[in-house]
Amino acid sequence: MDTIHFVIDKPQRWDSQFDPEMTEADVKRLMEIRPFSEMDQSKFSKRTPLSGILLNDARIRRFKNGEIIVRAGDYGSSAFLLLSGHARVVLNPGLPDKVLGRRNSKTKSLFQIVAQLWTNPRDQEVRSVEELDDNATLETVSQQKGVFLQDVPRILDEHKTATMSAGEFFGEIAALSRAARTSTIFAVGDETELLEIRWQGLRDLMRFDLHLRQHIDRIYRERTLATHLREIPIFQRLNDEQLKRVIEEAQFGTYGDYDWSGDYKRLAKEGTRSPEKEPVIAQEGDYPNGVVLIRSGFARLSRKFGHGHRTLNYLSAGCEFGLREIAHNWRQRTEAVSFQHSLRVIGYTHVIIVPTVVMEEVVLPSVKPEELPELFTPEELAGTTDSKTQQTLDAGAKIGPELMEFLTENRYFNGTSTMVLDLERCTRCDDCVRACAAANDNNPRFLRHGQINGRIMVANSCMHCADPVCLIGCPTGAIHRGQVGGEVIVNQATCVGCSICATNCPYEAIRMVEIRDKEGAFMVDKEMRPITKATKCGLCSDQIGGPACERACPHGALRRIDMNNLDAFARWLNR
Amino acid sequence: MKGFLRRRLLWSSLLLGASIAAVSAFVLWASTMSRAAFLTGWLLFGVMLLLTSYNWFKKIPYLPLGRSEVWLEFHLYAGVFTGVLFLLHVRGRWPTGWFELVLTLLYAVVMISGVLGIIISRGWPKRLTARGGEVPFERIPLIRRQIREQAEALALNSVAESKSATIAEFYTRRLHAFFRSPRNLLSHLVEIRLPLNSLLNDLNDLNRFLNESERKVAAKLVELVRQKDGLDYQLALQLSLRLWLFIHIPVTYSLMLWAIAHIVLVYGFSAGAR
Repeated sequence: MDTIHFVIDKPQRWDSQFDPEMTEADVKRLMEIRPFSEMDQSKFSKRTPLSGILLNDARIRRFKNGEIIVRAGDYGSSAFLLLSGHARVVLNPGLPDKVLGRRNSKTKSLFQIVAQLWTNPRDQEVRSVEELDDNATLETVSQQKGVFLQDVPRILDEHKTATMSAGEFFGEIAALSRAARTSTIFAVGDETELLEIRWQGLRDLMRFDLHLRQHIDRIYRERTLATHLREIPIFQRLNDEQLKRVIEEAQFGTYGDYDWSGDYKRLAKEGTRSPEKEPVIAQEGDYPNGVVLIRSGFARLSRKFGHGHRTLNYLSAGCEFGLREIAHNWRQRTEAVSFQHSLRVIGYTHVIIVPTVVMEEVVLPSVKPEELPELFTPEELAGTTDSKTQQTLDAGAKIGPELMEFLTENRYFNGTSTMVLDLERCTRCDDCVRACAAANDNNPRFLRHGQINGRIMVANSCMHCADPVCLIGCPTGAIHRGQVGGEVIVNQATCVGCSICATNCPYEAIRMVEIRDKEGAFMVDKEMRPITKATKCGLCSDQIGGPACERACPHGALRRIDMNNLDAFARWLNR
Repeated sequence: MKGFLRRRLLWSSLLLGASIAAVSAFVLWASTMSRAAFLTGWLLFGVMLLLTSYNWFKKIPYLPLGRSEVWLEFHLYAGVFTGVLFLLHVRGRWPTGWFELVLTLLYAVVMISGVLGIIISRGWPKRLTARGGEVPFERIPLIRRQIREQAEALALNSVAESKSATIAEFYTRRLHAFFRSPRNLLSHLVEIRLPLNSLLNDLNDLNRFLNESERKVAAKLVELVRQKDGLDYQLALQLSLRLWLFIHIPVTYSLMLWAIAHIVLVYGFSAGAR
């Protein structure tokens, strides 16, 4: 039988160049500059030579005086090397949000809320001039997609800053660990030139160049790890000397794909998502060789069930894995246990592993006996009973294993305000959609439509993710977290309509719209192209009383739920 | 105690308390006051006004007036409370004049439509969810058209492919009307599968006249018939979930207007009466 094949080229690592305008001449110039001039090119693989990394994963950017290079709180996927000129890093306390071009989280007054009765425009996606120009200190230039600080001398007078000069690296920790930028850095003078390296290139540079790896490793240990460990209860009683030992011996691991949202969309369409295909961080039955601390991303906690794995819970940043086993073995040396669960990567996970020997020699002796995790009982190990710890951990038992798999498979655990509908209560009246439109100038910001599992529907609405991949790559930082509830919002004044956020969002919760003026006419640029903006649910952060959709549901069928608090979800389900 | 049960108990207790208080006060005042009907009347009108305002409340969801869910619960229990007040107001007597009869009938329609509304609002979503095939109401006509086009294409192509018009004739005679528009809505509301089974039986009986390739077409048509039937089921239930409000709300406004006229007339003709 004849079969039709669609033959396409297998995607290659460098199919998509970071900057198509990067030339061989640029690479030649960079190879003569430190640290690249000092790198041993023979250490790089033939498939990913140093010159290839610089050509395909890097770009040269020039910034003007006062132009922001990175902003505190933004998410970025690249690091920077200062090639020439100077940059200033704003030390704590940082610049106010207004200066940084972020929308101030303003709640409407009671009068403004009532006035929506007659002020809501008739046409959809109308923007007022004030809304598009709500920050006098900002200058957004579409072609450059840059944000400028105005009155730099005043900022230098009023804020503490430190100067960075040619040869200095910055932004590498945020890029590699997928954390928010910790400081704002802006260019000083019009001759500031930087090399921006996307995280894939940085990862390869670190892999093949020992010096760079050691440099970034050292920075990470010095600046980030101590603070992170101090936040975890079991490490809080360590003195400085003990903490230093933990920091020195800790290992880092990055699993999965940083750009998991694209892969997720593809796999979701193909329907080929499966836990067995996820990279394993720790395997059930293996010797517990260290405590795994989730630094960023998510991991699936599962247990063997039949010929597959049953998801018990998902772990997010700040969670640990393996502590109970190691603490048990430390106290009951003759009855050592192996890992009781498996830990798999969902999407992308960055972990810190504290080796067992360090835990036993340094950490566990510092913990009060009553604060240690409970011991495993023979019955629990035999699988006949569940301990209290196990019951707490097993969220799947509380909400039902099918729903647990559904949430995990579709990666809804990422949501901190996921819109969940109980279809056995929902009368399909669309009061929620109308309320959303009424609260957003007659523009509904979600669809009452989405994935269904049993009686639960997760609607296509922004979930205000714990790991907001939509924030990665926004050229102006228009999409950002709000100051109060951490909701993800779009500043319409600085959104340049590039649609990177909409493309990145794995849940398709961001729409690009063509905006109109108050008369209903489409707004256009000088070349008569329509102005587009990203729109999404803003969690009614400007309204008194919270999300209108939730308040408007007459049957209590709709809730915005933090998927990292499955106990609350279980209570709502069993209400 | 679970959330729903706790809230039902709370509201029921409030309703019971309010009803006992209203009846007790009426019994007490009826013997001492000659115009007790004015008090019950104004109280009844006031509660009805509050109940009507729920519709206005839903139109301005951005006002910080609390959850619609709580207001609906108040609406339901206060609605039942109006029944107590109504009986006290008319002193359990059937209306004598046509004006009062219309008023009573309007009240009855509002009350009955409200009770029916809450019954279907609680019951239909479970049925829709259990049946599956969730479809947004606005998309139903579009999906129906897509199914009809698929079915028509199957019937038409079968003529050329099998050199026989058996399926096409059956389609014209039996399936065309079924795919063209919503069918059997009442049967769906009362969960009767007779029309579907009858159609499927006819399709099954047709098989004896079909060759192998035609049977494959017939099997696809069976699948489309089931899809269309599921769509009609969604339409019937979702439509009824919307339609009851088209009775409840307009009749409520008629009742309020009639009640205002009643108040005017009562005051107009009761001057000096004791």
